[in-house]
Amino acid sequence: MADTASLVSILLDRILSIFVDEMINIPLINPIVERLMEIPFVNVIVAFILWKPIFHVLILPGLLGMTLALLFIIYFERKITARVQWRVGPKEVSRRTGGVIQALADGMRYLFQEVIVHRDANAFYFLQFPLISFLPVLLPLMFIPAGGTYGIKTIYTIPAALALISLIPVFIVAMGWASNSKFAYIGSVREAFMYFAYEIPFLLAVVAMIVLYQTPDPFEIVAKQWILGAVMNPIAFLAFFITVLIATSRLPFDIPEADQEVAFGPYVEYSGIIFGLVMMLPYEKLYLLSMLSVILFFGGWNGPEIAILGDLAPVIYLYIKTILFMCVVSLARSIYARYRLDQSLRLGWGVVLSLSMIALFISAGWAAWLRL
Amino acid sequence: MVKVVKSPKKGLVRSAIGHFRAITEVAKVVVNPGTITVHYPRERRKYPENFRGMIMFEKEDCISCFRCAHICPANAIQMYPDDEGRYYPGIDYAKCIFCHFCVDSCPTAALKQSKIHDVAYKDVDSMSVTPEEMDNVPEIVREDAVTVEYDFDRDIRLVKRKEVENLLVEVDKPERPEFKAVPQYGENCIGCRLCMFSCPVNAIRSKLEETKVILETDYDRCTGCGICVRICPTEVLILTPVEREGDHQ
Amino acid sequence: MKTYTLDVPVTPPKEYESYFVPVPKEFLEDAYRSDDFVVFTGPQHGGSGHMRLIIRVKGDFIVEVIPDPGYVHRSMEKIAENRLYIQNIPLFERPSIIDFGNYNLGYVRAIEDALDIDVPERARYIRTILAELGRIGTHLYDAGILAVFLGHTTGFMWPFALREYIVEIFTRITGTRITGSFIVPGGVRRDVDAKTLDMIKRMLDALEFRIKKFERVFIKNPTTIARLHEVGVLTKEEAVKYGVVGPFLRASGVEYDVRKVEPYEAYEDIDWDMVIGEDGDGYTRFLVRVEEVGQSINMIRQLIEYLPEGEVLSSDIIAFNKNDIRGSFFEAYADMVLPEGEYTTLTEAARGTLLYSIISDGESTVPYRVRIVTPGWVYLKGFMEACKGHRLADLQAIYGSFGYFPPEADR
Repeated sequence: MADTASLVSILLDRILSIFVDEMINIPLINPIVERLMEIPFVNVIVAFILWKPIFHVLILPGLLGMTLALLFIIYFERKITARVQWRVGPKEVSRRTGGVIQALADGMRYLFQEVIVHRDANAFYFLQFPLISFLPVLLPLMFIPAGGTYGIKTIYTIPAALALISLIPVFIVAMGWASNSKFAYIGSVREAFMYFAYEIPFLLAVVAMIVLYQTPDPFEIVAKQWILGAVMNPIAFLAFFITVLIATSRLPFDIPEADQEVAFGPYVEYSGIIFGLVMMLPYEKLYLLSMLSVILFFGGWNGPEIAILGDLAPVIYLYIKTILFMCVVSLARSIYARYRLDQSLRLGWGVVLSLSMIALFISAGWAAWLRL
Repeated sequence: MVKVVKSPKKGLVRSAIGHFRAITEVAKVVVNPGTITVHYPRERRKYPENFRGMIMFEKEDCISCFRCAHICPANAIQMYPDDEGRYYPGIDYAKCIFCHFCVDSCPTAALKQSKIHDVAYKDVDSMSVTPEEMDNVPEIVREDAVTVEYDFDRDIRLVKRKEVENLLVEVDKPERPEFKAVPQYGENCIGCRLCMFSCPVNAIRSKLEETKVILETDYDRCTGCGICVRICPTEVLILTPVEREGDHQ
Repeated sequence: MKTYTLDVPVTPPKEYESYFVPVPKEFLEDAYRSDDFVVFTGPQHGGSGHMRLIIRVKGDFIVEVIPDPGYVHRSMEKIAENRLYIQNIPLFERPSIIDFGNYNLGYVRAIEDALDIDVPERARYIRTILAELGRIGTHLYDAGILAVFLGHTTGFMWPFALREYIVEIFTRITGTRITGSFIVPGGVRRDVDAKTLDMIKRMLDALEFRIKKFERVFIKNPTTIARLHEVGVLTKEEAVKYGVVGPFLRASGVEYDVRKVEPYEAYEDIDWDMVIGEDGDGYTRFLVRVEEVGQSINMIRQLIEYLPEGEVLSSDIIAFNKNDIRGSFFEAYADMVLPEGEYTTLTEAARGTLLYSIISDGESTVPYRVRIVTPGWVYLKGFMEACKGHRLADLQAIYGSFGYFPPEADR
């Protein structure tokens, strides 16, 4: 028995040693962490949570951070739209705080609503896709670093993240297919069209920035941004911004899920918490793309150092900048009407594609000049 | 005389100007919002005195003339008899469309408007209000502490006052002469005495003189409701305006 | 564009037989066989209103639209035959309660025509003010619906907020926000005091101030122009052929406005322009109505300025107080009997020409027959024709540009 006990403690020590090397260092909570690290078993858990990849994916800017950001941005979007529209917006759920928990309350309502799977749907895929679609949302988070924390550290993180983000429309089209309904079908076809229209200029805009910095490594990109990327290459930023609007189905490009035309398109048959999940999908995508755009165009996690937060400071800078970018994007909803499919395809394949090409040339010019 | 509107010309510059204007206008509103919301249960919109809300009823003033029930376009008013055999209106708010034809028809302002517009009923049956219940002001929960009035001064202005508004309205009696039912064309009378039976205040009496029925109105009692006039098959009785009490023409 | 037809045997789903759809089975079978797609929009759809639209699309292009109206039909003409003449006033404003001024006016004018009632000048002006306020309110309402059909949420909320101004004035004049029932034979129910008239003047300034904002955000917004320009075009000939009425006819370049052609009430006394368009597309239809709002504002300003003093109830009706019908409503109207004959009036309601035709048998207190031809029903055909050849996404844009209002059409 003693052997087993010692074996377990040796094993735990070995596991602990993996985590301890790359633990996030936050001076603010160091005394608590040190106290906890003295307790066996608990120290493994604490070390695991504070292990950089896990902290990155699960806490900030990962799952927890994303959930908070989404809850906030949904509330903010409703509130700012209401402000523009001479209204007040959500308020009654908790009047003292101005209705901050409205999005949470809506989520709770979805949770208690019946999930209906209609007769014509392919029930297996119908229920499966909304859940699987979290994969292309969470996996890119592994690749997009946040300065102090990171999931997988390679120099190809930005291309890898882009490749995974590009998978999301595939799941939306699949959802529309599994719904087996006319409006879902029309919505899926529209989504597929839009996917091709924005993906190329989007990638070109990112490539332009990679050319500008001559590296796909986000750490280097951020380090080189003593002038903001958006100032260095505004055309690339414009192309990126428009494609973000198209990619996240924001107005004026919410064509696949136009509720007056195709009644939420691919999501038309979903109800209950499953609908809540699929409706979060564009917001999750917006979160990822905002993070990417902050890294590429707004100096990523650059900011004055805060000693007491240690490694957490850059993460918080990135997080705040991401939320600010999302706030700006959410304002588009109250300004614009919806374009028609053919018009936005023309825009995507014409104007935005040429903009991203121009951006590529500008970047090449900068790159050549800076090397001299 | 004829104004022709033309679609604007399209072009990149024009559309860029359009985008810029829309964005700046929205940005302006974000900074300086023109919110016109009235936070209803806590604030109450001030409505004018002639607001057509719930209908109030004064039983003392009612002369049981059936005018309200007769004119109601939605058949929402039903006349209920009381112990003395007089009829009083009760409104079925499930049917009422708040046109206030009844209020405008009422000769004595027994029915009058109020500014109450937010009453909830438990079920459809309780929406049918009897005259006894109509005497009371409907019970509403007042959460408001502020009265909001819309005013305009180049832009809309929400005038907020810290006061609890009285929702009941004082209404004068309508301007109209007093009427009495006069059995003017007695020679037409066929002696059916429907007028006598229908009179809510027993103001009409009949005498039999040989084979002829002679009608007589007690002008002190007569309220001028006109039921006898409407019910008479041969138009014996005529509603006649009086100048002073007792001095009938 | 070359089209390829797939020679695959396809049968329409069985459900169509139990949907009670107003299209023959052959239509569906033909559509399925020729590689078209039949989309059912409504009545429970974000962009259909109380109406079902059966749309046959080829690819993304609409081949045919078959409307299935009648979901809000309430047999208004039949109900009217069992009611007193005066009781029909609240009933006949139901097709379009936001435009009650014009709907009351048409019916009341028919009664006045029959009974030969002279309306005092002041009452005429007040009626015209009410009708024009209703027109502004309806055009704003339709602009809001158009905006939400195009997905512009701010464009939806702002006109509805602006309509609140109109509604506030309605409350002060009539005592109710909508369904005024305020225009009665021989005048109006109550006089309007000077304070309210002053309020209307200030309201119009405030309205113009905010409509300018609305113009920048929605009317001149490039996305709006892109969605409506050259969409749903009806040429002058087509518009006349399909019997389109009102601002939608004028948008196609036809100069017809009942207020000009057969002026009624106070329209002759004031100076205003008939608004016409040229292109007949969705954007022109919208612009014509936007311009009409400006004209109406101008008209109300003149009406208030020239408003004569005097009574508001005719001497031909029994009213003890000629400035307030209260207390004499029953005496004035309960026993109204129209002389035998047929009385017809044309009114320019907000959405187009409105016809009332009363047939009286000369002895009963209820109409023998009332015919209402509402503009909504008349331009339904034009709306369906305008959709042909456009994209599926344009359906809602064209719908909004016509301001189609099913309760008005179905009655």
